Amino acid sequence: MSTQDKVKINKLPTGVPGLDEIVGGGLPEFSFNIIAGAPGSGKTTLAHQFVFANATSDRPALYFTVLGESAIKMLRYQQQYTFFDPAKLPGSIRFINLSQVVLEKDLGAVLEEITKEVEKANPAVVVVDSFRTMVRKPESDMDLQSFIQRLALFLASWQATTFLIGEYAEDELRDNPIFTVADGLFWLRQTPERNSIVRKLQIIKLRGQDSVPGLHTFRITDAGLQAFSRTFGLTGHVKDPPSHRRLCFGIPELDKMLGGGVREGDSVLVAGSSGTGKSVLATQFIAEGIRLGEPGIVAVFEERPQAYAERAASLGLDLETPRKDGKLAILYLRPLDLSVDETMHSILDTVKKLGAKRLVIDSLAGFEMALAPGFRADFRESLYRMIFALTGIGVTILSTVEVDESFTEFPFSTYSISFLTDDIIRLRYVSIDGQLRKIMVVIKMRGGNHAKDIREYEITSKGVVILGKRLTNFQGLISGVPIHSDRSEAKEEPSQEPEIGSKS
Amino acid sequence: MRELAHRLFAYEVVVGKTSEPMEFPILRIYEKLRQSLSAFAGVAAFESLAFRALTQAKSEAPGLWAVQVAQGGSLQGLGQFEPQIDMDKDLADRFPAGDGGIILIACLLGLLLLFLGDALTLSLLRNTWPDEAFDDRSSENGRNT
Repeated sequence: MSTQDKVKINKLPTGVPGLDEIVGGGLPEFSFNIIAGAPGSGKTTLAHQFVFANATSDRPALYFTVLGESAIKMLRYQQQYTFFDPAKLPGSIRFINLSQVVLEKDLGAVLEEITKEVEKANPAVVVVDSFRTMVRKPESDMDLQSFIQRLALFLASWQATTFLIGEYAEDELRDNPIFTVADGLFWLRQTPERNSIVRKLQIIKLRGQDSVPGLHTFRITDAGLQAFSRTFGLTGHVKDPPSHRRLCFGIPELDKMLGGGVREGDSVLVAGSSGTGKSVLATQFIAEGIRLGEPGIVAVFEERPQAYAERAASLGLDLETPRKDGKLAILYLRPLDLSVDETMHSILDTVKKLGAKRLVIDSLAGFEMALAPGFRADFRESLYRMIFALTGIGVTILSTVEVDESFTEFPFSTYSISFLTDDIIRLRYVSIDGQLRKIMVVIKMRGGNHAKDIREYEITSKGVVILGKRLTNFQGLISGVPIHSDRSEAKEEPSQEPEIGSKS
Repeated sequence: MRELAHRLFAYEVVVGKTSEPMEFPILRIYEKLRQSLSAFAGVAAFESLAFRALTQAKSEAPGLWAVQVAQGGSLQGLGQFEPQIDMDKDLADRFPAGDGGIILIACLLGLLLLFLGDALTLSLLRNTWPDEAFDDRSSENGRNT
C-alpha cells in the first residue's frame, strides 16, 4: 500500500510541553487512552492539559468525574495552573458527575449515562476520572470486559479522543482487559530517592505511532506537567557535518598547542585539581568566543551567575555586557533533584535562543551533585547522551572536572568519561625548586595533531598565561615531583607545534 | 454576594407570576443552582455545600430555623415559618436584608466564590441563567450599572 493510500491519523497536541515529541508528534485522534499511576503522580493534571489544549465550543470536552475528587475541589486546585482558562468552562469543557449512577446502578447504566451525554454534546475529548473507582465494584470479568469494549467502541465511533484515568499498580498490567483494549497507555511514576522526588513517565504502548521508548523525566510546576524526552527533543535531527573550523581560547600559546584551537563541535575536558585554573580557562574560552561574535552559555552549579561574572571581571573579562546584549547566558542549575534531561532542556532552549556556539559546564562534579541521587547512578550514560546531542547540533562543549592530585598516577577524570571527550587538557601542580607551580599538557585531540609539550603557566590578573618554552630540563613532570635532568644547561629545543588549522 | 442574590431574585420574580408567594422565586433560584451544581459536581457535593450555606444563613436569619436540606439537596420548609415580606414595598427598596431565602442564596453563592473563584462562579451563573447578563468582572457585584 502506498503512503497516500494509507489512512491519515491526525495528531492532537497534548498540551504538555515536551510530550508531543515523546509520543511521536502528538496524540492520535480518536484514540482510547489510559493514564495510570499512583495518587499524586499528575494524572489529572495531564488530562486537564490535554483537555484545555483541544476543547472548543464546537467540539467540547466532557470530563466525567466519579467518586474521587469532587469537581469543585478539583477545579479549585487546577485553576492555579497557568494553562487553566476559565473562559472555556462550561462552554468548551463540561464537567459531569457520575457518582450517583455508579453508586446506585450497574455498569450498563453508567454506559447509558455516558452515551446520553456524548450524544448530546458531540465531544472531541472525553475523560473519565477516575475510571478505577468506576469499575471497583464486584462485576464479573465478562461484564467488565464487555463494558470496556462497548465504551471504547462507542467513543471511537463518536470520534472522541478518550482518556481513562486510574490508580493502577504496575503488577496490574497483566490480565487487565482495560490495558488490552487501550490504544495508548501512559504510566506516571513518582519515586522518592533519598530526599528527592523523581517523576518519570513511560509510554507503555501507543498504537499507530512511533513514540520514544524508555522512561522520561517530568516536572510539575505552576504551568502543569513538563516532560523531558530522553532524546532531548532532537528526534530525527541529522547530525551536523563535521566542521574544520577551530575555536580559540584567546591564549596564543595554548591555541598553538591545540593546533589552532579546538575543533568546532568537539567536547573538551579540562581536568585538574582545585585551584589549577580550570574555571579561569573555561571563562577565557567563553569570553574569546564572544569577542569573536560567537554567543555562549555557561552552566554553573557551584556559584551564582553574578559571582561568576564578577570573578571574570577580576580577570579583565567583561561578561556583563554580553549578558545584557543577549550574547551570553549564565545558567545556574541547582535544584538538587534535577535530571540530566531537564538540564539539557534548559541548555537547548538557551542554545536556540542565543544561537550559542560555545558551552561551558563548570563543573561536572557540581552538575552531578545537582542531580537527584537516582540520576547520579546514570551520570556517565546521561553525559554520553548529552554530549552526543549537543555536539550533534554543532555546539562546542568545554567541561571542567576536578581530579584528585596523585603522585603515582595521572588521572584524566574521576568519571571514566575521557572516552566521551574529543579533547583533554590536563592541568596539575608540580613541585619545582621549593615552589608549587602549575603545568599544562594537551593529552588528546581526536580531530587532529596537537603539541606534546608540557608547559608551565600562571594565573594572573589577565587569566591563564603560559610561561616561556616547554619544560625540557625536568623529568617526571607529570608525577608532580620532577627531577632536574642533565639537559638543564643544554640548548633549549623549540616547541613542537602542530599544524595550524583554520582559526576562529 | 447579597446584591447578586437580589439580582437573581429580581430576575426570577419577573419570570414568575406576580401573585406567587415570596419563596417561589427563591426556590427557583435554589433549584436551578441545585440542578447545575449537582450535574457538575455531584449530588453529594451539592448537598454538602447547601447544608453549609443553610447553617451560615440560619445564623443571620433565624426565621430559617425550620428549613432543611433534604436528600438529593432539595430544600424543604422555606416560607413555612418565615415572616412574609411585602413584595411591592421590598422590591421598591431593592430587597432590604432580612429575607432568609435571599440570605441562603447569598451564602450558597459565597461558598461557590470561595471554592471556585470569580471567573468560574460567573461562568456557572452564566450557564444557569443564560438570559441574564453577568458582565461584571467581579461576580460579587453582578452586572455593572
